[in-house]
Amino acid sequence: MIMDHHHNTLSDRLTFPEDNRIATGFFAAGILGVVLSLIGMFINTEQFFYSYLTSFTFIASLVLGALFFVMVQHVTRSSWSVVLRRIPETISYQLIWLGLLFIPILFGMEFLYEWTRPERIATDELTRHKLPYLNTPFFIIRNVIYFAVWAALGYWLYKNSIAMDRSGDREIDRRQRIISAPGLLIFAYTVAFASFDWMMSMDSHWFSTMFGVYFFSMSFQAILAVVVVLVLYLFRKGLLTNTINKAHMHDLGALLFGFTVFYAYIAFSQFLLIYYANIPEETLWYYYRFEGSWVFLAYLFLIGRFVIPFVLLIGKKAKTNYRLLMGVSVWIIILQFLEMFWIVMPILHQGSISIHWLDITLLLAFFGISAGLFFRQFAKHSMIPKNDPLLAESLNKH
Amino acid sequence: MSQNTETVPDNRLVKGDHDFASITKLISDIPQERTPLWWYIAFGVSNIVLAVMIAMVVWLVWEGIGVWGLNNPVGWGWDITNFVWWVGIGHAGTLISAILFLFRQGWRTAINRFAEAMTIFAVMCAGLFPAIHVGRLWTIYWIFPLPNSMQLWPNFNSPLLWDVFAVFTYLVVSTLFWYVGLVPDLATMRDKVKGRISKLVYGTFALGWTGGNRQWQHYEKAYMILAGLATPLVLSVHTIVSFDFAVSIIPGWHTTIFPPYFVAGAVFSGFAMVLSLMIITRKLYGLEDIMTVDHIEKMNIIILVTGNMVGFAYVMEFFIAWYGGVEYEKFAFINRAFGPYAWAYWIMVTCNVVAPQFFWVKKFRRSIALTFALSIVINIGMWFERFVITVTSLAQDFLPSSWGYFSPTYVDVLTYVGTFGLFFTCFLLFLRFLPMVAIAEVKGVMPQADPAYYRSQNGNTKSTDDS
Repeated sequence: MIMDHHHNTLSDRLTFPEDNRIATGFFAAGILGVVLSLIGMFINTEQFFYSYLTSFTFIASLVLGALFFVMVQHVTRSSWSVVLRRIPETISYQLIWLGLLFIPILFGMEFLYEWTRPERIATDELTRHKLPYLNTPFFIIRNVIYFAVWAALGYWLYKNSIAMDRSGDREIDRRQRIISAPGLLIFAYTVAFASFDWMMSMDSHWFSTMFGVYFFSMSFQAILAVVVVLVLYLFRKGLLTNTINKAHMHDLGALLFGFTVFYAYIAFSQFLLIYYANIPEETLWYYYRFEGSWVFLAYLFLIGRFVIPFVLLIGKKAKTNYRLLMGVSVWIIILQFLEMFWIVMPILHQGSISIHWLDITLLLAFFGISAGLFFRQFAKHSMIPKNDPLLAESLNKH
Repeated sequence: MSQNTETVPDNRLVKGDHDFASITKLISDIPQERTPLWWYIAFGVSNIVLAVMIAMVVWLVWEGIGVWGLNNPVGWGWDITNFVWWVGIGHAGTLISAILFLFRQGWRTAINRFAEAMTIFAVMCAGLFPAIHVGRLWTIYWIFPLPNSMQLWPNFNSPLLWDVFAVFTYLVVSTLFWYVGLVPDLATMRDKVKGRISKLVYGTFALGWTGGNRQWQHYEKAYMILAGLATPLVLSVHTIVSFDFAVSIIPGWHTTIFPPYFVAGAVFSGFAMVLSLMIITRKLYGLEDIMTVDHIEKMNIIILVTGNMVGFAYVMEFFIAWYGGVEYEKFAFINRAFGPYAWAYWIMVTCNVVAPQFFWVKKFRRSIALTFALSIVINIGMWFERFVITVTSLAQDFLPSSWGYFSPTYVDVLTYVGTFGLFFTCFLLFLRFLPMVAIAEVKGVMPQADPAYYRSQNGNTKSTDDS
């Protein structure tokens, strides 16, 4: 290898500053959200659970997207992403908590999932047909499996990465790949079935083979936006400015652009095939989501989540224009929440968009606690995998 | 503060003791050498097979579609199966040239030229089937929206028409991409060949390339733009092919996962075909230093990934067929697995889902014999996938009284076999007359391409192979 003009040593501080109070701030906001939401639970229980599921799926999609990001980097032995990999690693480490956050949903199943209601089972033939799959015990078993598998993957990949910081043992890097390759396969099936369970089964008659891929496409686009926002936040605090360079941000921007197109491709294909065939069982899902003012959200996703980021990010310069990247990314994250809202909420509020204050407080609770947990964890270790075998190559990316 | 400061040495993409001159010689000598005997034999056989295809097509046009095994419930048989199969194979070339280019995968340089050529010929074979399936080949231009005195327009709501646009666009862009990439190498050929006529022909197609700085800048820009254009095309072609089925309400065809599932399947079969051809060619022409085992391993990983994507789609389809509770949909899938075409279904599952799982093991990924065998197995499996989708859903549809069974006639079989004649005739001509590896691009991924190479020691000492 040729070593002229290359820099191999890290010149930035590697730990998140201890005097940074952002985690505390997020926790405070989160706790405020929790308290308000608990009050709301007694005022409007049904609304509480719908809002809860919306925010849960929003956070889950991001954390799962991060897990996928980390595993793909390992499998492809990517060097470009090494300098920023600790960010998605730390996010996917939060999978150890995700299962706990799901528990409250089990108490709201009769509100959320019509297939759990005895009168529905008694009168509806299709619900009876689906009983071997859609029944509460099996639902719980499945979810225990999903969360256990994800927690194990998120935990291992993170812990191994931290262990490599200390020992620099190359063997760990190989082990990361050995976990990640089957991990991706398991990820595909668990995420698809989880999306069926959490969201698709809310309309118990509706089905779409694409739904798992649709959920994934949204998650991955959104997590790329989250990573962009976090890196740019670190830059603003003067952190890692000599470590993560424009070339890394360009690649992240390019991926965000690519997966914006992928999201549009998947979401539109699903819609078009159902629209074209025009079979009532299938179109009903879109019917509720296009009814009244709900259709504005559908147009917003088409324009806001595809057309606008597509046009803004297509140029080479745009991908290193940090203000633009920040704006587009924050916008995509907001739309990810709104798309979860659009999938979940029309069942409760048919005919027109209705925003309840619980939607806000639960988002605050989920986002505050998750972001707080992230920053608390992020401050514990080096912000980059400082002993990764591909670090030197990553630092020299240009 | 301990921190890793070492660099992991990259595996050399080009093995052996090569420099720029030896790469040029290795590739550009092939079209200048005496035509080997095996080439004449292979070309002769391909020509005979091609003649059979032409005879079958002529017979079909003369006599009508009835010479095929199509019958009343099964109006789409081998024709569409073959069309989708060949179009699918035609996906690897553009994937390798465009998507891997955008992802800056240096290893693509060894195989992109080769795969692009294969793409173009595969799309030609594919295009034949819908064209002859219309029955009246002489009015085939009606598929284009041409103004005419009868105010007759194609049906713009039909994905079959979108297919026409998608496939033609794909063919045009793939050909352009191939040709643009060829220009610097054609210039190399022009400078190398002795004969006056060959110099004139290569020179004409090299468009006056001199290899100047300005030309390279334009070239790089054009190549990047074409890669950007071709990438969505890789997705769009097979997506629209999947729409041919999925927009309908036929059980087993109408399922929302079809677009990405078809694209994954296309890449899967395309890579398998590139491997089949590459493994033979690298041996025949002694290109093992350029198309290395590392390349084969990387391609096998893509096969493993796409094979599992296809498997994922099978599982989703089967699960949702039950979960949806639609009577016909349930039947369609049970019938696929246990009905009269169960044999075809299980061939498909074995070849497409079980077979690629060998590639989890590094030793198998690097085994040339196994790779070759599995690449053939996978393409058999992918043919059966299209057959299963097309025929099982039609043969047993909504009305049991009109159920049928499709059996191919000799015309079906020989037309399909005949397309291999077309494919290999073109492919052998390509191998004989054009540089089959992108000479300039391979040089770009060699250590010598680093501007600092000759300043450091590497230039003076003989480099050793580090694999």
